[in-house]
Amino acid sequence: MTVTTRLTWVQEKSLQNHFGGKQFSLLYKASDHEFSPQVLLQICSDQGPTVTVIYSGDHVIGAFMQKSYQAENEVSIKLFAFQETEILECEIRPCTPSMLFPVGKAKPWQRNSEFNIDLQEKYMYIHSNTSKKLGLPQCDSISFKECEVFRCEDVLDKRTMEGVTELRESLLSCIRTYKPYGDLVPQIRILLLGPIGAGKSSFSNSVKSVFQGRVMHQALVGSDTTGISEKYRTYSVKDKQDGNSLPFILCDSMGLGEEEEGLCMDDIPYILKGHISDRYQFNPMKPITSGHCNYIDSPLLKDRIHCVAFVFDANSIEHLSHEMVSTIRRVRRKLIKYGMVHLVLLTHVDSMDLITKDDFIDIYRCLPVKSKVEAVHKELGFALSDILVVSNYTCEWELDPLKDVLILSALRHMLWAADDFLEDLPLEDTR
Amino acid sequence: MAVTTSLTWKEERSLQNLLGNVSLGLLYKSSVHGNSTEKMLDKCVHQGPTITVIYFHNYIVGAFMLGHFPVMHQDFRKPSASFYFSFQKNESTKMTIAFLSTALKITDERLTFYSSDDAIFCVIPSKSILSIHTLLRKKLELNLSSRLMYSGWEVFRVEGIKDDAGYIRKITRATQHRNGLLAELRAYKPCADLVSEIRILLLGPVGSGKSSFFNSVKSVFQGHVTRQATVGSDGTSITELYRIYSLKDGKDGNSLPFVLCDSMGLDEEEGVGLCMDDIPYILKGCVPDRYQFSPHKPITPRHPAFITSPSLKDRIHCVAYVLDINSVNNLSSKMVAKFKQIHKEVLNFGIAYVALLTKVNNYDEVLQDDFLNMNQSTTSQSQIMNVNKMLNIPISNILMVENYASECKLNPLKDILILSMLRQMLRAADDFLEDLPLEKTERKTEREWNAGEKKWK
Repeated sequence: MTVTTRLTWVQEKSLQNHFGGKQFSLLYKASDHEFSPQVLLQICSDQGPTVTVIYSGDHVIGAFMQKSYQAENEVSIKLFAFQETEILECEIRPCTPSMLFPVGKAKPWQRNSEFNIDLQEKYMYIHSNTSKKLGLPQCDSISFKECEVFRCEDVLDKRTMEGVTELRESLLSCIRTYKPYGDLVPQIRILLLGPIGAGKSSFSNSVKSVFQGRVMHQALVGSDTTGISEKYRTYSVKDKQDGNSLPFILCDSMGLGEEEEGLCMDDIPYILKGHISDRYQFNPMKPITSGHCNYIDSPLLKDRIHCVAFVFDANSIEHLSHEMVSTIRRVRRKLIKYGMVHLVLLTHVDSMDLITKDDFIDIYRCLPVKSKVEAVHKELGFALSDILVVSNYTCEWELDPLKDVLILSALRHMLWAADDFLEDLPLEDTR
Repeated sequence: MAVTTSLTWKEERSLQNLLGNVSLGLLYKSSVHGNSTEKMLDKCVHQGPTITVIYFHNYIVGAFMLGHFPVMHQDFRKPSASFYFSFQKNESTKMTIAFLSTALKITDERLTFYSSDDAIFCVIPSKSILSIHTLLRKKLELNLSSRLMYSGWEVFRVEGIKDDAGYIRKITRATQHRNGLLAELRAYKPCADLVSEIRILLLGPVGSGKSSFFNSVKSVFQGHVTRQATVGSDGTSITELYRIYSLKDGKDGNSLPFVLCDSMGLDEEEGVGLCMDDIPYILKGCVPDRYQFSPHKPITPRHPAFITSPSLKDRIHCVAYVLDINSVNNLSSKMVAKFKQIHKEVLNFGIAYVALLTKVNNYDEVLQDDFLNMNQSTTSQSQIMNVNKMLNIPISNILMVENYASECKLNPLKDILILSMLRQMLRAADDFLEDLPLEKTERKTEREWNAGEKKWK
C-alpha cells in the first residue's frame, strides 16, 4: 500500500548535493501508478521543478527539469547518470513532455531524438553521443524496470529557516533561564576532555559565539603544536542580551595524549574536585601539588566539575590508536568512580562524507552519522543516547541558526546531565 | 514556479513526530493545481497513506487516511484507519486529534469522509467550503460553525509510516494515555499506607538493563532523557554499588511514592558479580545506599553502615528480575540455577516479584490498541514461556520494556510501556503488603530478625 522510492540514502543524498541542496518528494512511481505517459503527466504536471529517475539493471539514469511539466511547453532538460563515485551530466535540447514520454505509436519526429522514455514498452532511447557523455554503454535502447518522478525543492526554504530560527530562540531562552538542580550551585562547570585537535577549544568559542551574536575567538585554536591548549582555562560566558553571566562555565584542559604527552592522568581527580584554578599550566609528567599557587585547598561544590564532555573529531574515531582508546577508557573509569556524569561530543560533523548543512535539522537520521555514533559506542563504550553531534564555528564570520541549534541542543543535554549529577550527590557533599 | 506547502515547519514537525518520524511529500495544492476534486484526484490516486489539510484564517484542520484514495464515484470501500487533527494558530501550536475509522467517497463536487453512515468531514471545492459534523467538532474541541469557508487545501503523501491500523489508533491516543498513567502513578499510595514508598529491587545479569531502566523511568517523569545511573556497552560501567534511587516528579517536584534499588549484576560463576549471601540482607533492608559490594564476601552486621533494625519501609517490597529479551532463551544452566536460588529466598520472604524483559524492539506492539493489556502475540512469545517455566512467574507479571538507551528523544509509546510496567510492579507490591496480617506486621519483622541473629551466633 505504501509508495516509496527505490533510491538508497546515499543515492538520494548524492543527488541532493549535486543539485545544490534540493530535496525530493516522490510524485509518481510507474510500478505503483501505471507505466503510462498519460498517468505520469497527469500526476506530475504543474509540480514545479522535477527529477525523473530510471532504474535499468546496474544503471540509474535521470533527467532534471527546471520548470514544471506543462502540456505544450518545452522544458530544458539536463540528463544525469550515477557512476562509481560521481554523477555525470549532459544537457539536451528542450522539448515538450509528450516528446520526452512518447506513446508507443509515436513516429520518430514525435520523439526527442537525443533521449526519450517509452513507458509502455519500458524502453529508454538514448543517442550514442549522449550515452558517451553519461558513461553509459553504447546502445540505442535500454530496457528499464522502474521509473520515478520527484518534485525538487530547496531543503532550506524560507519556511524551514523560520522554524529553525524559532527553535534556536526557544533553546536560547531555556538555557538563559536554566537553574541548577536545587540551586545547589550558581553555575554548572562543564569539563571538556579529549584528544589534541578534537575541537574542545573550538566548542568553547562556538558556545561563546552563539550567546554573543557573532563568531568569537578567545580560546586558542590551531592545527599545529603552537595552538595546543596547555593551560587549564575556565570560560564564563556572558549573554549579549543583558550582559549577565550564563549559568554555566566551560572548563578546557590540556588534550589527552599517549604515554608522556598530553594531560597527566593523575591531574584528573584534582580537576574534578575543583582543586585547580584558571590558567594553571599543566605538566604532562607531573600532577599539581598542594603547594602550587593555582591549587585550591578546600574547594566548594561550586568549584567542582558537574559534567564532563568528551570531545572527539568525528573523522578521527576510526584512527584512534590503541593507546588513545586505552587512555579514554581509563579516564572514563575514573569518571565513573567519582560519580561523574559524562557525554560525548562529536565535532566536525559537517566534514563527514556527503553531509551538508541541510542535514543538520535531522542529523541523527543520516547514515554516516549513525555509523559514527555506533562506532563510538562500540569502540569506547559510551551509551548511544550519550553521544551528541555538533559543528563548531571554525572559518565562518557570521552565525548560522542551523549550527546554533546543534550547539545549543548539546549544551542543554550537558545541563540536564549536570542536574543528574547534583541530584545523585550524597547529602554530605551538598554543603 | 515553486510548489510549497502552507504548513509552518513547526506544524509539519508536530505531524511527523506524531506519525513516527515520517516524511510528508506534497502531492496536491489547490491554489496551484486547481480547486476541484478532479484536479486533486489527478495527483493523488494510488499514493498510499495521505494527509489532507484544509487552511482557514486561524485554524488548520486535517485528515490522515491509511488506505489509498478511491477513484472518482467509486462506491464505498471498506473503512480505512484514519484520524483527524486541528492546529490553532496561536503561540503554542496546539494540536488536537481524534481517531475514527473512515470511508472516503469522491464525486465531481465533493470529497466526503464517512464514519458509520455520517458524513463527518466534507470538502466542497466549488464553494471552498468544509463541512464538519458536530461529533468531530466536539472531539477536536473546535468552536466553529459546521460549514466554513477555507482559503486552500493540500494533500500530502505520508512516507515511512507503519502500515497497521492498530498503530494508527495507538499513536492518536498515546499522549493522552501516557498523561493518564503519569497522573495515576503520581497519585499512587501504597496499600493501606503501610509504607510511604514502595521499594523495587532490580536484579539481573550484568548488561541486562537494570540501570538503564531506572534512567528510563526518571526520564519519563523529567520529560527528557536522563543519565543519573551510569550505563555503557563495556565493563567500565558495571554497577558495583548498591543504590537506592528515589524519584522526583519533574525537576522541582515532590518525591514519588516508589524507589528503585539497583544492585551489582549477577554472574553465573561463583565469586563474580553479586554475592548470593548478600541477597537476604538486601531483601530485609539491611544494606545501606552506596554500599560497595564484594563478590567474595557478603555484608555483615558488624559493617558500620549495616541497618540493624530495618522497618517495613526499609524492606524490599517487590523484586524485578531484569533480563535482556535476546538472552532469555540462551541462559546458561548455572545462571538459571542462580535465579532459582534467589527466587527461593524471595518466596521465603513472601516478597512480590515480576520479571522485566528489556531491549524489546517492537515496543509499539507489546500492548493492545487500547493499551490496557499485553497482546496475545506478546504473551505467547517463547521468551515469556521460558521465564514462566523457569521461575513460575505468572505471565501477567512478565513485563517488557525498551529503555531509553539509544536515542535522545522521548516517545509516548515507549513512555506508556515503561509506566505500564512500573504500575504492574506497584500492583504486585500492593498484593504483598495486603497479604501481611495487620496485627503481625511488626512482630513478623521482629521474628525474622531474631532468626537471623540466631544464625549469626
